[in-house]
Amino acid sequence: MFAPSPASADPAAPPGRRTRPAPTPPHPRRVRRPGRLGLLAATLVLAGVAAGCTGDGSADPHEPGRTGGPAAAATGGVSGPLCAALPAGTDPGNPDSLVDEPADQAMRWIPVLTTFEAAVRAAGLSAQLRDPRGVTVLAPTDDAFARKFSASNLDELMIHDRDTLRTLLRAHLVAGSHSLADLLAAGTVTTMDGTRLTVTPTESMARLGDTATTICADYRVAGGRIHLIDAVLGTLPTTAGLDDDPAH
Amino acid sequence: MRVRRPTVIVLSALLAATLGTVTAPTAAAGQPGSATTAAEPNEVTNLTVTQADGYATLAWTPVEGATDYQIERTPVDANDVPTGPSVVVGVWRPNRQINNESPTFADAGFNPGDRFQWRVRARFGTVEQPYSAPVTGTTRQPWGDPAVPGQNLRTRWETTRAVQYTSDVDEYAYTAEIDRLSDRVRVVEIGRTVLGRPINMFVFGYPTPPATPEAVAATSPVAINCNVHGNEPGDREACLIMARQLAFSTDPRIIDILSHTTVLIVPTVNGDGRAANTRGNSTGQDLNRDYSLIRQPETAAFVRMVRDYRPIASYDGHEYGNSRAGDLPMLPPRHQNVAQSVFDQSQDMIEGYMYARAAEDGWWPCPYGCEGGGNVGLGEETILRNTLGLKNVVNSLLELRSSGGQTRPDESNTANNRRRKTYSALWTFHHLLDYHRARYDEIRRARAEAITFQASNSGRIVFRGSRPIPAHPAPHPADAVPPLDAPRPEMILDDAPCAYRLTPEQYLGARTDGPGGVGASLAERIAAHGWKVVKAADGYYVPLAQPERGLIPLLLDAQGAEEWVGGERVYPTLTGRHNGPLTVSGFTCIADGTINGPVTVRPGATLIAYRTTVNGPVTATGAAGVVLGDSTVRGPLQVANGAGPLSLVGNTVSGPVNLVGNTGTDAPLVAGNTVHGPLHCTGNRVTPTAIEVPNAVTGPRAGQCAAL
Repeated sequence: MFAPSPASADPAAPPGRRTRPAPTPPHPRRVRRPGRLGLLAATLVLAGVAAGCTGDGSADPHEPGRTGGPAAAATGGVSGPLCAALPAGTDPGNPDSLVDEPADQAMRWIPVLTTFEAAVRAAGLSAQLRDPRGVTVLAPTDDAFARKFSASNLDELMIHDRDTLRTLLRAHLVAGSHSLADLLAAGTVTTMDGTRLTVTPTESMARLGDTATTICADYRVAGGRIHLIDAVLGTLPTTAGLDDDPAH
Repeated sequence: MRVRRPTVIVLSALLAATLGTVTAPTAAAGQPGSATTAAEPNEVTNLTVTQADGYATLAWTPVEGATDYQIERTPVDANDVPTGPSVVVGVWRPNRQINNESPTFADAGFNPGDRFQWRVRARFGTVEQPYSAPVTGTTRQPWGDPAVPGQNLRTRWETTRAVQYTSDVDEYAYTAEIDRLSDRVRVVEIGRTVLGRPINMFVFGYPTPPATPEAVAATSPVAINCNVHGNEPGDREACLIMARQLAFSTDPRIIDILSHTTVLIVPTVNGDGRAANTRGNSTGQDLNRDYSLIRQPETAAFVRMVRDYRPIASYDGHEYGNSRAGDLPMLPPRHQNVAQSVFDQSQDMIEGYMYARAAEDGWWPCPYGCEGGGNVGLGEETILRNTLGLKNVVNSLLELRSSGGQTRPDESNTANNRRRKTYSALWTFHHLLDYHRARYDEIRRARAEAITFQASNSGRIVFRGSRPIPAHPAPHPADAVPPLDAPRPEMILDDAPCAYRLTPEQYLGARTDGPGGVGASLAERIAAHGWKVVKAADGYYVPLAQPERGLIPLLLDAQGAEEWVGGERVYPTLTGRHNGPLTVSGFTCIADGTINGPVTVRPGATLIAYRTTVNGPVTATGAAGVVLGDSTVRGPLQVANGAGPLSLVGNTVSGPVNLVGNTGTDAPLVAGNTVHGPLHCTGNRVTPTAIEVPNAVTGPRAGQCAAL
């Protein structure tokens, strides 16, 4: 079976910012240069389906999404209008399966965070998401990014302007592990870029400043929380729709 | 334009009513599920559900006066007891299909293998009519018997239920395992990305793929480019599933396809962008704005592959966000320099074939750029769709609508959205193979016609600008079309030159337009495209009278929109009538000429001629280059001991043709000629090729040309 992390090599990350692989099992960290066919050596285990498998996804007991106990069927403690559209129950990536995953790995199992997750890697911030003192991630969805940045602007940030990207991402990180209830109780939150946002209740979710609202809150991960939000925070200008859609 | 339209079969409501009294049980194996019960007024009847890979086709008898239909899906257990809420997952509208009298809907966006109940109801405006009787069925498991080695492989995307995409590392391992377990496939590395990731290509044939690129080319293969934009991964997952099917399926259809041609699949040309989830490659270059310029190693690798493997039909996979368009926006190569036959055949593939098959299976293709699509789908030759058209490949763009839109209201669920996209791409790619199989001779003829047209160097040059995509009367999948995109006056050159002359500096000089400010020389890039170049005393001549005539000026003329250099336009040196012998020394280009007498090309000289008649023999000995297109030689044609390129395309020769002892390093091109007499080739350094454009030869073919 595959390793639980996609382990997509990221040679573009600045040297020294490469993050440690998840504890088990070890991941290949960079693209290897295989033989004439350009194939990795067969040391990698294939995703063969065992005979008799019911085809309901992975059978790896270590893989997120395959939690054995009755707790697997629980809602995982997440709440918000988007949660119903995300992996639940015993699906791979269900909230319960992520509680032992560090935030940077857990995000790979939340399918609406592909932009944010890739941005964290591009910015070399994965280690910061494993801060032993805990971290809370206010993670904008892919839709939120699409509403904020044009495709070319996003590529520019991800590839050429990583300092700006890092600042942008820090506007979505909060020191310490804070539940939705914690945030609401505090009434304000200060992100790692130094911005202080008000937190106000709205229909059992939290409004952050006047920009974003949580839409699936309280993913518990190793040492932290992930709250999905519906808009990009920070100070960068909106570029979505400004330039021509580059299209195909 | 040739567009076939299938016969429309109208099921009358009366007929439907007479059938509406039998209650059918749920589906037996291999049979569509169906439901027919006594119908209430305006109730949908004769609902059937047919399972396929990753989707289920619903079909029903239309209700008179219905404006649209809603498709409802309910998860059920083995006893058909609901296990979850009923959800409207689809809205059928008349513009989905060409024969909207026979509605179908491809329901997708569910976990393959799960069991469901479906119902359909008509709406009159917003007024909902009664639901049909339900039909239940178990959807197909992910393809492949779990007990059969090879068939039991799964991608990461499949094992994670579409929560994660298959990573680069996963892809390489999966690819290696397919390669190891199947004799039908050879995996070749066609190049490396900027960051050094291998760019692999599956080469499929039955019982084994042809051994060399030239042998593959001889089968007129079909190609799929799956992932050029790193943040548009849906098509790539379809390609990886399809690779497993082609490698291990025992389906006679698959065996038949692979017995007749070769299937080329490039799963990830932009591996760096996929890993980083960026549109561009690691330098930020949008690779689908680079296929003509080939500044990047990824696009250069793909273009060299096209040169060597010579696919005749292709799709290029993308995703896009216009939520109002169809499931599967498609578009042919529209650039006006694309030969009419290739444009027409591509339109036939899309409108004549895909629209018809989609109407059977419930998918919704439409022209890319339609219905609020914006200023897209235009004539940039940098886009693979157009580049391939200019390389005489029948092809189409494929977009997977990335948002569910109004017609797939349940796709706020990301995994379901991903599944619909990927399985709709899988449907399209399989139908590309079917089209290629069904219209193989026709596609080859269209390509041959295009190549001979291009080699005639006929007509104006359009640097940028598109052919129109005709609209059909609504409601129809093509009732809205992309922008007209006619060429602006400054993008038109009415008087096409004979060739472009490049200085040694232009041709061989270092360039700065690649990654890190280092770019391949034009010599390398021109070689990657596969053009003939004549090295003469005063520079390098790139003749237009060759198969990629539509592309050459776009890169070598200063008037081009995105050119490499402004090469010198070299116009014909001779037109009209010439009586008496003609001796060519230096550079001679004849256009629309009539030479009444023998033509002799001296050592070191260059002859280019198109649309020209020579009443007499043509003899070239030790020439720097000989290029003849769309010309007639009434006499023998002999080219011997030449050091440069030799290209004979679309000519008629009355007399023997002898190609002897030519030492040029690229294959002499002998394609689409009619030879009244023998064709004899011997002692040439490289065996001549016809690039699958057959010659008609009345006499014997001998030596290196025996197979042409």
